[in-house]
Amino acid sequence: MLNVLFFTPLVLFFAAVVLEFCGMLFRKDQVARIAWWLFLAGSGCLSAYLVARGITAGRIPLSNQFEFASAFAWGVAVMLIVLQRRTQAEWIRAVAMPMVFLILSYAALQPREITELMPALKSAWFGLHIGSAVFSYASFVLAGCAGVRYLTLSRKAGVENQLMQIDFLCYRLVALGFLLLTVVILSGAIWAEQAWSAFWTWDPKETWALITWILYAIYLHLRLRRKLSSKVMAWIVVIAVPVVLFTFVGVNTLLPGLHSYG
Amino acid sequence: MQIKILKFLRSMTFGMVLLGLILICSFAGSLIGQGNEPAWYVQTYPGWHGPLLALGLDDVFHSWYFICLTVLLCLNLTLCSLIRIRRVVNTAKNAVAHAANRKTAVALSPEGLTKLKTYLEVHHFRKTEFETAVVYSKNGIGWYGSFLTHLAILLTVLFGAAALYLPTVTDQTCMPGEALTMGDGTVIAVDSFHIEDGAGNLDYASKIHVTLPDGRDSGVQEIRVNHPLAFGGYKIYQQTYGTAGAVTVRNGETGGEDRFLLTEMCFLSLDSVNGVWFEALYPGYLRDEAGNFTLITQTSGKYNNPVYQILLASDGVYTPVMAFPGETVSVAGLDFTFENPVEYPGLRIKKTPSVVNGLLCAAFCLMIVGLWFCFFQTPAIVTVREDGYCVSGPKPQNMVIELSALLETEIEKEEKKC
Repeated sequence: MLNVLFFTPLVLFFAAVVLEFCGMLFRKDQVARIAWWLFLAGSGCLSAYLVARGITAGRIPLSNQFEFASAFAWGVAVMLIVLQRRTQAEWIRAVAMPMVFLILSYAALQPREITELMPALKSAWFGLHIGSAVFSYASFVLAGCAGVRYLTLSRKAGVENQLMQIDFLCYRLVALGFLLLTVVILSGAIWAEQAWSAFWTWDPKETWALITWILYAIYLHLRLRRKLSSKVMAWIVVIAVPVVLFTFVGVNTLLPGLHSYG
Repeated sequence: MQIKILKFLRSMTFGMVLLGLILICSFAGSLIGQGNEPAWYVQTYPGWHGPLLALGLDDVFHSWYFICLTVLLCLNLTLCSLIRIRRVVNTAKNAVAHAANRKTAVALSPEGLTKLKTYLEVHHFRKTEFETAVVYSKNGIGWYGSFLTHLAILLTVLFGAAALYLPTVTDQTCMPGEALTMGDGTVIAVDSFHIEDGAGNLDYASKIHVTLPDGRDSGVQEIRVNHPLAFGGYKIYQQTYGTAGAVTVRNGETGGEDRFLLTEMCFLSLDSVNGVWFEALYPGYLRDEAGNFTLITQTSGKYNNPVYQILLASDGVYTPVMAFPGETVSVAGLDFTFENPVEYPGLRIKKTPSVVNGLLCAAFCLMIVGLWFCFFQTPAIVTVREDGYCVSGPKPQNMVIELSALLETEIEKEEKKC
């Protein structure tokens, strides 16, 4: 049953991506609308799956690569839906929907069995630390999607207002992600002191979280200075996405450390 | 010249360069194994080990240049924060009054103005009336966001360094029923230790109590991962565990008895000639039909099938023997009864001024608050005149875009009419 609930959103997201592109290609609003409804249905199923998994496991489903990747895809989907409702920025769908599908596909490649939470993860900080990471990474990924849209749109003439809005949205998403990443790092430091006796140990995961934080801090300061064009700023948010993904996937698989169980 | 240097040291450019360099160092430090012996680098990075070791890339985060970068960042943040504080307070105080003097940037019709005013009131802007203009302002607290964030980062680096270098940390093992006495007279006693096996995930827990030199006692507390015991400036962590052999030695002549815990090679004898050499304790073994042993040398958790490897020393003759728990071996009038192994904890004992941890956590909170003010309580000031409006604040462009995005249907059409 859980497997069905997991693969249903994967199929729905795939169908939504295909229809979204068809709608764009043939300029059919109706098709794009169906794609969006499929995406909403997929997000609903994914939410149900995470809740069901959490109930079955008796804990927040964020303890390994599969659960984090699923929650990450869910985070991007939820933020995309909220963004749609608040800003009507339909343009972001075409980039963000495939991202959700890709992240969930990565989750599908991971072992899915439910395991008991290991003692090191049984802490009051677990939910805050990893939950903030889900939404922080989701914000950065959506900012990257907005950056891609900016770069593709910037070739056209007469779209200055839209470009300004996209640039502003990028900034808002990065600001939200930056705040949440700060929460991730600081709550992690307090947790590390409880578990390992030191606030900071230069573990690869900690170091890469810091690298990501510095990267976005530089972005925010560059934006404040307004010496670089919005196009360069869009490039920065796009280039930063692989860094975020490396912090999530790459560090766990390539750089063993205290966080390797994740 | 001095002013120029000072300006550079507190500039955002300098801060960003420092952040960039710290980023590069962190990148290198995460990819290159840290803190290993030079031989490891020679083996792992053949051909590169020379420059790698010369540049201190084997221990980037404790290298002189990384410490210099951190100190310079602190200097940059200090100068930036100190110099900024007066300006921030003044700006926050006078922003609304200054905004009243700003000229109209966007012309609006009377209907457009009404819509704009309604929008501003609905969005909880505070209205201040001046002779020539009405100023709507919001999120005045946000003026302090950037200052608080930078101050918090500075405090985090300073208190973080203090939390890293001030504590004295010692790792010690202690047998259940025994106690450790610290330099200041504090006694840490281990009452018991046990391993819980939760579906393959081993959880180690010790029951300990701490008695301070002044007689205060923590009472018996259980420590395990994520749950250290903090008492009297000490923080005690359940760090590792070990397994020791246990043997009871009985003197056949006198009837005297003593129990020993065996953690390393030792010789148990009365006359230093005859007795038992304890060599090792193994967690398990396999025995074939011919009676040959294959010893299992490693395990996680409990020793399920333990075996002692000993030598019986008798008049200069050494006989290797495998002894099992419950078995008694007699040599030269001594009876050695081997028992089931005993598990004992490895404790990490950290003595730290608790005020440092408190200050660091306060700096963390300040940083979150500062960032919240900075990004989500951005001050917005809209000066409304009879002919139109203008937006001001620390990030006016953001507000202009936000207004145009939110009010596109309500205001932009009015602008076109104008």
